[in-house]
Amino acid sequence: MRKVGVVGIGTTQFRSRWIEKTYFELAFDAVKMALDDAGIAKDKIDCVVYGIYNDFFERQFQPDLFVHDYIGMAPKPAIRVSTGGATGGSAISAGFAQVASGLYDVCLVVGVEKSADCFDYETGKSSPEVLKAISYTADMTYEQPTGRTAAGSFALTTIAHLEKYGNPTEMQMAKVSVKNHRNALLNPVAQSPIALTVDDVMRSPMIAYPFKRFDNCLYSEGSAVLILSSEDVAKTFKKPPVWIRGIGAALDWAVIGNRKDLYSFESSRIAAKKAYAMAGIKDPVDEIDLAELHDAFTGTEIIAYEDCFFCKEGGGGRLIDEGIVERGGRLPVNVSGGLIGCGHAVGATGIMQANEIVLHLRDEAGNRQIKNAKTGLVQSIGGPGAAWTVCLVLERDRI
Amino acid sequence: MDKRTFLTWADRNARRIGVKKELVIKAFEKDMTTQTGADTPFEIPDTMHVNMRYSYGGQSRFFREILENKRIMGTRCNQCDKVFCPPRAHCPHCYEKTAWTELKGTGRVLSYTTVYFATSSYIKQVPYIVAYIKLDGTDTAILSNVEMKDIKRARVGMQVKVVFRGQRDGRITDIYFKET
Ligand SMILES: [Zn+2]
Repeated sequence: MRKVGVVGIGTTQFRSRWIEKTYFELAFDAVKMALDDAGIAKDKIDCVVYGIYNDFFERQFQPDLFVHDYIGMAPKPAIRVSTGGATGGSAISAGFAQVASGLYDVCLVVGVEKSADCFDYETGKSSPEVLKAISYTADMTYEQPTGRTAAGSFALTTIAHLEKYGNPTEMQMAKVSVKNHRNALLNPVAQSPIALTVDDVMRSPMIAYPFKRFDNCLYSEGSAVLILSSEDVAKTFKKPPVWIRGIGAALDWAVIGNRKDLYSFESSRIAAKKAYAMAGIKDPVDEIDLAELHDAFTGTEIIAYEDCFFCKEGGGGRLIDEGIVERGGRLPVNVSGGLIGCGHAVGATGIMQANEIVLHLRDEAGNRQIKNAKTGLVQSIGGPGAAWTVCLVLERDRI
Repeated sequence: MDKRTFLTWADRNARRIGVKKELVIKAFEKDMTTQTGADTPFEIPDTMHVNMRYSYGGQSRFFREILENKRIMGTRCNQCDKVFCPPRAHCPHCYEKTAWTELKGTGRVLSYTTVYFATSSYIKQVPYIVAYIKLDGTDTAILSNVEMKDIKRARVGMQVKVVFRGQRDGRITDIYFKET
């Protein structure tokens, strides 16, 4: 297997709505940024992987076709990946395989998503119709008709975890919300940079017990793009490559009732274990400088601490209580603001997370830079109760 | 666009997407009747809608028994003896065929959530409980609604039993659960 590096990145602003751009125009903006960042013209690209989640969001089935057309990549080979919230992570993983295998040298990975064109005329709001579009990706026979929402599937598993280990408490979850909204204040592409207190979170309206309004990420529109290159070609780009040293992925039972337990995410544990093994990481807290974990919901981030082996099972709540995962802590989590602070433009999210890590490893993260960052972790999860997880370990050359 | 042209436009679009005319007017009137310049974004009312007839295939009997006989059925693997509800025609572990078996319809809540913010199809029903229920005699859990007077009393471990709705139409929502 060949070594693969990230040689160019681009992320548009994540917003509640980009009324002035279509999905393919948003993708164009991020592709242009990534090409400029890499210092190359589009002819240098050998193949493309598209990460786009929900066809309703784009008002277009097989939307990758029309992104490919708009960004002028015809007739280069391309595939589209769609794995729920993990779409971005899976797209990077698929792009990695294209290059590591030796099939292509330079792969463009394009994540993009709209959502707020979905509109509920009765309430005059987008969210209920966005949730309806998402609900069609739940099991249509047994599960979707019960009215369980995306938040509901993670609330169910968080309650099971709470029942088993006594945490995450609502207070601990509120602290994660405060942290991620605050981290977003330093991120110029973030959708929800807000200075909140634990009280603000605790008093926000209930969405799906135990999650409240501020425990949830918001749906975003935006695009994130990265360019992958093989080792021999990687030296020809403008900036030093950031290497993908480890990838782990799993797809668990999608019908949560078929799992052996409901309180941990087996897919996340397997993905982290595999990524660490490939990257040679033995003690993640010691060896990882920062992590972007999939905080679609605050409780999910706390369970992710455990599933990424930052602590033992049931110990997640303690990490936020002790400040270990804060910006100044031993292992900062979601310095971008994560999905809660930066936003969740589904197909783009995993790539936004990876791009954040790349910025820190290049020492380009400005006033939110984590000093001397050498190794970063991305966790991308999706589907009901984290059916899919992809973990990536990124590393810069040690000087 | 002048007001009169707008109202005709709104009416035609409302019919096209199956939404009340007043709601389309409410959503678009400001943008469509204000002079904002040729380059401002132009939005149209739209929908994506496909009618279907869906076959339950090898799981048909499950829905037919609920609809016609108020019976809850699971399936048992001929090889490993695991019992599935939701039912499946084949065991995902052994790849063997399963056989239908009647269940008592009682069980235990493995986990639950109470939904307060729902999709547009369910927004009028909130708050409601969704729970994974392990039916007695099965090895898997089924997602269903639990109806109770005081929803704050929902608990993991709660014992529940199936209730068949008076009007059933062949969907999983023909059943729900209540505390025993
Ligand atoms: Zn079997």
